Formats: sequence, C-alpha cells, structure tokens
Amino acid sequence: MKAAPITTIKTIVEKIDDGGPDVKVFSLVDPDRWELPPFRPGAHIDLHLPGKVVRTYSLCNDPAENSRYVVAVKREPSGRGGSIRLHDDVRQGDTIGVSLPRGGLQLDNKVSRFTFVAGGIGVTPFLSAAAYLMRTGGADFRLHLMVRGEPPVAGLLAPLLQKGHVVIHNTVTAARPEVASLIGRTPSDEMVGCCGPQGMIEDFEQATRGWPDELVHIERFVPLARPLDPNEKPYTLVLSRSRLEVAVTAGQTMLAALIDAGIDIPASCCGGICGSCKVDWLQGEPVHRDRVLSPAERGKSLMVCVAGSATDRLILDL
Amino acid sequence: MLDVLETQGNAAGAGDRTISPAWTGLVRHLHITPRAFLPMRAMPEIKLIAGRGIEGDRYMIGREEGFYSHKPEEGRQVTLFEIETLVALKRDHNIELGPEEHRRNVTTVGVPLTHLVGRKFWLGETLLEATRLSIPCRHIEEITGKAIFDPLINRSGLNCRILQGGVVRIGDTMRNFQ
Ligand code: FES
Repeated sequence: MKAAPITTIKTIVEKIDDGGPDVKVFSLVDPDRWELPPFRPGAHIDLHLPGKVVRTYSLCNDPAENSRYVVAVKREPSGRGGSIRLHDDVRQGDTIGVSLPRGGLQLDNKVSRFTFVAGGIGVTPFLSAAAYLMRTGGADFRLHLMVRGEPPVAGLLAPLLQKGHVVIHNTVTAARPEVASLIGRTPSDEMVGCCGPQGMIEDFEQATRGWPDELVHIERFVPLARPLDPNEKPYTLVLSRSRLEVAVTAGQTMLAALIDAGIDIPASCCGGICGSCKVDWLQGEPVHRDRVLSPAERGKSLMVCVAGSATDRLILDL
Repeated sequence: MLDVLETQGNAAGAGDRTISPAWTGLVRHLHITPRAFLPMRAMPEIKLIAGRGIEGDRYMIGREEGFYSHKPEEGRQVTLFEIETLVALKRDHNIELGPEEHRRNVTTVGVPLTHLVGRKFWLGETLLEATRLSIPCRHIEEITGKAIFDPLINRSGLNCRILQGGVVRIGDTMRNFQ
C-alpha cells in the first residue's frame, strides 16, 4: 500500500477537563512532549477527526505555552457532528491530527486598550489573547462575555476575573447590553474584537462601521452561507505551475473543481473564514467572497473554497 | 542574529573564499525534530547511525515520521545546509531565516555543499556520502511564514547517506575524504 503523506501534526489527547455545561476542554500534546509549532494570540487550528471530519477551534492557552494546544469545545447536538464526536468518542490518550495554527490577533501594534465582546463559547479566541496580554502587561484590556446562565470555561476565566479583566453579562438575570455601549467611540488607540452568534456580530459590525480595519477583529464560528448568485457562469482555471486547465461549472466551487481534478488543496471551513485554502492568483479577475483576506491580500491571493471568477479564464499559481 | 550567522570558518579556504579541494569547514548548528511540522530543536550533539539516519530525527529509516516519509529515500539520512545561504537571504532578500528554520540537520560554515554531490566527506568522526541537492518545499513557507521558497531554489542544502556513524558535535571539523 502506498504510504499517505503526513499532512497533519500528530497530537495525543493529554487530558480532557470539564469546561462547564456541555463544554469539554481538550489539551493536545506531542507524543514525546516536543514543542509544537508556535501560534499567535487568538489563532485557531483544525482538528482532523475520524471519518474525514475537519473542524476548526480557537486555541485557548497562552501562546508562550509552546508544547500544548488547548481547545474548548461545546457539544452542539444540532451542529454538523464534529463536536459530538469530540465529546462522545474522543478519550484521553487518543491521537488527533491537527493543522498548523492560523490567524490570530496582531497584538503588538501601538494599541493601548483592547475590548473584546464575546457570546458564550465565543469567548475562546480571546482567552489566548487575554493570557498573552496578562503576561506581557503592556496594554489594558477588558473582555465582555454575554452568557445565558453559567459561563463556560470557568477554570480558564478565573485568573482573568480575579484581575478584573472580565465582565460577565448574564442575560438571564439582566438585560443584554448594547454592543455599542461596550466599546469605545474614538477608534484611535483601542482595538476591538467580537466572537459570538450572528446577531451579536451584526451589532458589532454596525457599532464599528467606519473604524480602521486593523483595529477591528471578528471571529465567526460558522461559515457564512454562500450567497447564491444567479449570474454565475462557468469558467476555466489555468494552473500555471502544473500546466493544467480545470473547468469550473456554474455554481461549482473552485475548490471542488480542483479536488475533482486531483489537486490536493488543504481546506477546512469551506466557507471562507478559516484561511486554510488560500491560493495565489496571477491573471484574470477573481470574485472574492471570503471573510479572511484583507483588501491588500486579495491583490495576490484568493480562497478557493468561496472565490469565483469574473473572467472566462483565471490563472492560479498552482 | 549576527552571531548565529558568523561565517568565518577556522581553517584554510574559509578566509580567502577560494574553493579548494582541501576545504575545511565547521559544524555551526545541529537540529533535529521527531515529526513533520514540529519545530526543529537545537542540539549540542547528534548521533548518526550508519545506513539509517539520526537518532530521534523524523527521517531515520524505520521511523518515517517526516513530511516526505511517504516518499522514502535511502539517500536522505542526514541533511546539511550552508550558513552562507542564511547570510545571503538577509543580504539579498532582507529575510531573516534562523538556523532552526531551514529544517536541515547540520548547519555548516566554509563548505561548498553544492560541489559535494557524489562525494564522500568527513563530518566530525562520521563519514558521509552526498547523494543529491535538497530541493525547497512550499510547506516550509507555511511553517515559517516567510516567502523563502524561491530564494532557496538551488541552495536548499544537501542530502547525504551515512557510511560510518558516530557522534557529531557543534564545532566539529568537516573535510574531504581522501
Ligand atoms: S477552507 Fe476555510 S477559507 Fe477556504
């Protein structure tokens, strides 16, 4: 049998902690406790679960902790099945392949104050950022966490609560605060971030309209539904390195067409938010539908899981 | 950074920059990692096993936990990289690449590695035979986050097989096998 290429980092589930109602906290380590690839505060990794199920989770621990990846997973009975597998089937000592960490916040710029707004388990991307900011001590920060009832990951929140960095808004006992009232008005030296349900993100987008891009960070748990475009037409991908042409039919994703043609592209969220399927383009006019590339990055790259083409031919650096 | 990139060898050949069959070089850094994607760890010494590889490294034959292990290669038991390439990356492309980032095992100074394909040479007490030039891999850009694929074409190091094993230490001498 032909050996398969190693495409993931091999980790072992070192322990599984209780993270509150329906939440489990998984600590993943190298089998020899070797250092793991570094990550930025707020970064995420893909977990490759049995049955080719790939799910993205935010890393919750301090990036300085270089031999462990910690993820908190909420069991979502009506989700796509990844969290159920993790909750019900994964045990201490099991092996899980993970991706290199991606994304995260740029916390080393000239920002003196951070405000994070999170809903429920949406707190996770801000835990590693908070741990980093606590340790480096350079900037003031506050995390507003909206929960219905008991907050998740109490153990991870405890040191932050103790230092007064977290404000918990229990919407069972008090009215849900306006997102706009939680963040500052002068977008000069304050960076704001949000992760939570779609409604909260929409409020946050509204409240930060006009803010400079680099001061606003949004994390989504679910890929945005890809809008159906009745004007979509078929087009041809020209792969400059492999000298191949791949036809993309109307409504088909570029990713699906490439995979059908036998081109191996790493992909995870398939919804333009996780950043794993990035490919550089050379000529033509891509239609970008992702939520991960900056305007400048779009000049060079596209996300094949969601991007389309406005031209009949699009040349990719593949 | 400058310190780790110090390019002075200790002996004939390194100073006058002429390539002589009598070159003598030095081992400046040693790195291994047990599995694909994991950071390379700096070691004061490594143990080479004849015909197999480096103890604890991903490409040790029989271990096969490297990114390219699905394409086994008998001639890839230990890999070498010139520190002069790191200096050139900084000078010509303004890219700082550390000796732990190029993902080869032995960082050398004063050795014309690209001239050694097909030849035998001493690395400390071990005897190696250079099998082919290493080729860069896109995956290194993903790991390092640096655009180094193109600048590393044709100077991405040397793959070798181990003819005589032993312990290699930082500061060991490298010389031609006569
Ligand atoms: S697969 Fe996540 S952005 Fe394309």
